[in-house]
Amino acid sequence: MRTSNLIQSYISTHPASQQYQSDKAVREFDVHKELSNRTFIKPLPSNGKLIRTGVLDYPSQFRKDMIYNWNAFKHAAKGEANDHELGKLNDVGMKIGGLAIAAYLFTRKQTPMTKLFEFIGLGTFFAAMDLWPKLFIQLPAKLVHGVNVRQEYEDSFGRKKMFYQDHQFIPWDLYSEAEINKVGDRLGVPKDIPNRREFIQEKMRKIALQNNTLWMLTAGFATPLMSALMCNALESPVAKFLDQRATKQAENLLTNFQDEIAKVDFTESTKQLDSLLAEYAGKPITTDFVEALHANLTDGLDHMVAEGLSLDFDKMLPVENGKFNLSNEHIEGIQTSIRGLLEDSELSEAEIKSLIPTAEELSESLSSKGLLGGSYDDFSLHTKAIQDLLDSKISALAATDASGELGEYLDFLATKLVHAPGHGLDSPLMASFKVTPSVVLDDNLAKMLKSVSTELNSFKAKSYVLDKYAFMKAAQAPETSLANGWNEVQSILFKALKFTPEEVRKARLDGELASSVLRDKLETITADKATYEQFVDEIGKALNKLHERIQSLDMTQEAKHNTYKEKVEGVYDSIGATLKRFGLQHTAEQLVGYDGVSGLSSKSLALDFITDRVTGVKSSFYRFLNLADMFYKISHPESIHGILKDCPREVKEELVELAKVTMLEGHNSDFAVKFWQKRNPNPDMTDYSDLEVKLGKVINKYFGTHDSSEVVELANDRNYYKKVMRLLFGDNIHPDTMARISSSEHSFRTDFLEYRQRALNVFGNDKYFVRPNFLVDGHPVDASSWSKFLLMGSSPNEMFNKWANQSFNSGKWFNLFGKLGAGLIGVTLLAQFFFGRMKTPQPSQEVKA
Amino acid sequence: MISPINSISGKNITFRSTQGEENNVEFDKDTLLENNFSTRSRIALDKFTKAFTIYPAKGLKGSKNSNFYEFLTMGTVPYFIGSAMLMSIFNSVNSSFLPNNWKSAAKLGNKMALGVLFYAVFKELSKSLVTYPVKWKTGIDTEIPYAKVNYLLQEDPEDYNSVTSIEYHKVGESVDFPRWDQLYGDTSKGEALNWRYDKIAKKNGLGENLNDSDQEVKPLYKEVLVKSKLAKSISSFLWAATGVALAFQKPWENYFNVATLKFWKVKDFAHSLKVFGESFVDSAVDLYKGEGSKLVKHSGKMLIGAAALSTVLGVLNTFHITKKPSKVTGEDVIDNKKESVVG
Repeated sequence: MRTSNLIQSYISTHPASQQYQSDKAVREFDVHKELSNRTFIKPLPSNGKLIRTGVLDYPSQFRKDMIYNWNAFKHAAKGEANDHELGKLNDVGMKIGGLAIAAYLFTRKQTPMTKLFEFIGLGTFFAAMDLWPKLFIQLPAKLVHGVNVRQEYEDSFGRKKMFYQDHQFIPWDLYSEAEINKVGDRLGVPKDIPNRREFIQEKMRKIALQNNTLWMLTAGFATPLMSALMCNALESPVAKFLDQRATKQAENLLTNFQDEIAKVDFTESTKQLDSLLAEYAGKPITTDFVEALHANLTDGLDHMVAEGLSLDFDKMLPVENGKFNLSNEHIEGIQTSIRGLLEDSELSEAEIKSLIPTAEELSESLSSKGLLGGSYDDFSLHTKAIQDLLDSKISALAATDASGELGEYLDFLATKLVHAPGHGLDSPLMASFKVTPSVVLDDNLAKMLKSVSTELNSFKAKSYVLDKYAFMKAAQAPETSLANGWNEVQSILFKALKFTPEEVRKARLDGELASSVLRDKLETITADKATYEQFVDEIGKALNKLHERIQSLDMTQEAKHNTYKEKVEGVYDSIGATLKRFGLQHTAEQLVGYDGVSGLSSKSLALDFITDRVTGVKSSFYRFLNLADMFYKISHPESIHGILKDCPREVKEELVELAKVTMLEGHNSDFAVKFWQKRNPNPDMTDYSDLEVKLGKVINKYFGTHDSSEVVELANDRNYYKKVMRLLFGDNIHPDTMARISSSEHSFRTDFLEYRQRALNVFGNDKYFVRPNFLVDGHPVDASSWSKFLLMGSSPNEMFNKWANQSFNSGKWFNLFGKLGAGLIGVTLLAQFFFGRMKTPQPSQEVKA
Repeated sequence: MISPINSISGKNITFRSTQGEENNVEFDKDTLLENNFSTRSRIALDKFTKAFTIYPAKGLKGSKNSNFYEFLTMGTVPYFIGSAMLMSIFNSVNSSFLPNNWKSAAKLGNKMALGVLFYAVFKELSKSLVTYPVKWKTGIDTEIPYAKVNYLLQEDPEDYNSVTSIEYHKVGESVDFPRWDQLYGDTSKGEALNWRYDKIAKKNGLGENLNDSDQEVKPLYKEVLVKSKLAKSISSFLWAATGVALAFQKPWENYFNVATLKFWKVKDFAHSLKVFGESFVDSAVDLYKGEGSKLVKHSGKMLIGAAALSTVLGVLNTFHITKKPSKVTGEDVIDNKKESVVG
């Protein structure tokens, strides 16, 4: 007999527990009846549901969540939000805070990449917070146990919650019997145990709880780690994306040149100029005015051009502080000044007239002393002359008065004429001289200056856009097109050399160690034709990419084939001609050069800046390829037989060693002094045997066997010097190398060969006064140290040293945190197999009566 | 018949822990605690310790007594470990770098570490900018804690020791179900039942000697809880961001050069603290003043402004209480002098 359920039995038999028909209740609601119905008090039917969304539902879920959050905010602001809404708002606050951090740090970073990574860092952090439990907790638990430990549900009020959030309240009723049983089957729960559903639920709860705890314990390690690793992984694609974007932006600058120019705003500067011209209109030109005008016009121009404008201003705007013109036109003013003083006295008109010197008298008095008809800033002599004239008139009039009182009175009046009414003010007489300043800003001059400003502003806008293009393409700054090209080639180059971590660790320490490691590697690679060819192929591909990248920066092209060059020439030539028309010769010369020779002008700077940058980068990589080729030739010494054939074995060894070291480590100075090497002055002249090379390394028979006291620098061996230069840059590259870079795809080949030729010419024929005859072809070449520096490029060992350092640093980081991440994932996954263990109850057995 | 999975029937168990018994706990019923520094520190330490020890152990065992409180408390673990991890990511391998690289990597790493620290400190301290003004203006302490005695299910049939656990909650932790009961006075100690509600009612101008101040105050209390929580949620993270921005200022490099935690070297430690103070002030000034042009120059000001504004607006919004009971009295509604017909 089956055991009966006591509760069911109680309900079905007790009279007070009769089930009430709910549909009737709605129609005829009887409160007494309701209260008497004991089964009435029960939970309302649940409207909740499990959320079963996939990746495709994320956008709609996101939208729904945003609306929910917005409503939550509105409710909270009114003080009506519930706990769930406030919880969501806390998450929103966290994200706003995160965005605020990223936005602030964004403003502090200089380059697009570093700026963008502030937001990528934030994004990956939040993504890691979300992905870690999903990928390494939820997914493994689902695969191992068949239980979704991060199941979400929507409660009756539409609030989204985690199903296993509160283990004291799990809404199991949302799982149907079939679903629970399916999970139970997956969990291997026997089908015939008592209370199977409860057991399965308990097992699911346990698994979920254990996983939630695991999540809490691991998230702290995992989230920052995952975020950092994601950032690492994103670095390369983001760099590529930004590079393409920057290239496009730079090209757009030239394509939409007019639009870009229009964006440059000169309103403020124009306003300043207008107010300056208005302030000084009709007034004498002072130093202050000229300085303010100069600052306004040269704002945005380079120093040399500003200097040029200064010179032009010296001529165009002569500043004569405090000088005034004085001519016959001003005589009347002097008379008026004297009359003004006398009219206030008690003198009669006749007496006044007799006192005022006539125009002729004044003119005569001043001009006889050379004080009329020029510009003066000191009027003391003028005053003295007028006073003398007035004194004689006063004396004549005073003689008519016997009492002598008139004389005294007139003297008093005359004193007033030269007496300043206050500190810093001019006396009435002095003021009558200072009427016409010698130079003033008249309308014509103001109009001309305004026109110059308009032209210069137009030029500044254009040169600003051109400079921006040059910067984006080639500046010595991170993330320019050229810098990206450098990084790309360098990375391919050293990866192709396949250094071991130990070699990288050693090479990062200094240039000497890097040189030794690089030398060993190159010797190994060049010993084997197939390996070498593979290496050259890799470099070839990288150099092709670089060559394509810098195609638009080739300033040796004709202007009609190069937009930047065309625009630079057009813009600079045009402003040069305009400024010359305005008489600003010096300024024009600083901008475009003198008499068709651009020399050190701003125009040539705009072009040479790019050329120099490109040359430096190209030379570094061409030198590396040349280094590899030379090592290959030495590894296969039959190819350099022509250079070495007439040398004793010991000299051959010395020569090859010098060439290797120079190409690996040499700087400008090494070439400038025509090399320095301690050699044996008495080599074995009987041994002319060939070099012995094994696995790329020269097996020295003589070199390095002498005591340091036996070797010296041989200062006069110019043939030795020539042979070294031939080995470095002279003879043709090895046919095997040539074969690998000869296909039509290798656009850089001609450029590379020209580089070798130029290097041989410039370095080999450089004039060194100590060894004037050390010239490759007997004709000295006069090249600037700057151009030699650019041609020399970076020495391979230093380039490798820097790369090894960067590579070691990032490798070290990745090594530590990569291992930590792998360990964490391992532990997290393994833990699943220890979760959910419960003693399974015995299957129920039918009790027989 | 149905048998429970775990049975405690037949065992003489008392669901109350009293002092002196084996299951010795501090509280035998839910108890309101004084909100002072000592209590807060004790609670923080208790929660922190348990978050790293008891709760994960219970969770990993799959204990039936693990609950949402424990899960939330365990949230400290990722916070704490994550902070340390973040610091470590930017610092732990720097010592393997060459001196120059180490120097420049350490500059960023130290700032990052300080940023992590300031994030937490600013986030927590800034909440006081809401809590205290609200308490001062409304008389409502939104952070008042109580100890909750939690009765446990028996883990296994033989275990009778762990019958209770203590949890530390706040009265206003849930705005849906604030623990109103904890705010009533203990009449057995001679306290007025509604004395806390009376104080709040008086402070908010609801009057004195109210018959049922608790009923009058509850809607208002709830509104203040919700609004202050909103204010804290938004402003604390903006202040945390300000903390990070502060940590990224250049003057801190002076501090990193002399920083030491070796407090037993008194002179060095004192100097380190002094430079910390100076760097803090200089960095705050730099953050405010900024450098560069336009937006870049003013970004620090904008961040500080946003944080301050969110606090001020949040606090003002909390002060603006809309759920005060109507002051309309019965006399206002029914004018006794007028005739009225009822029925």
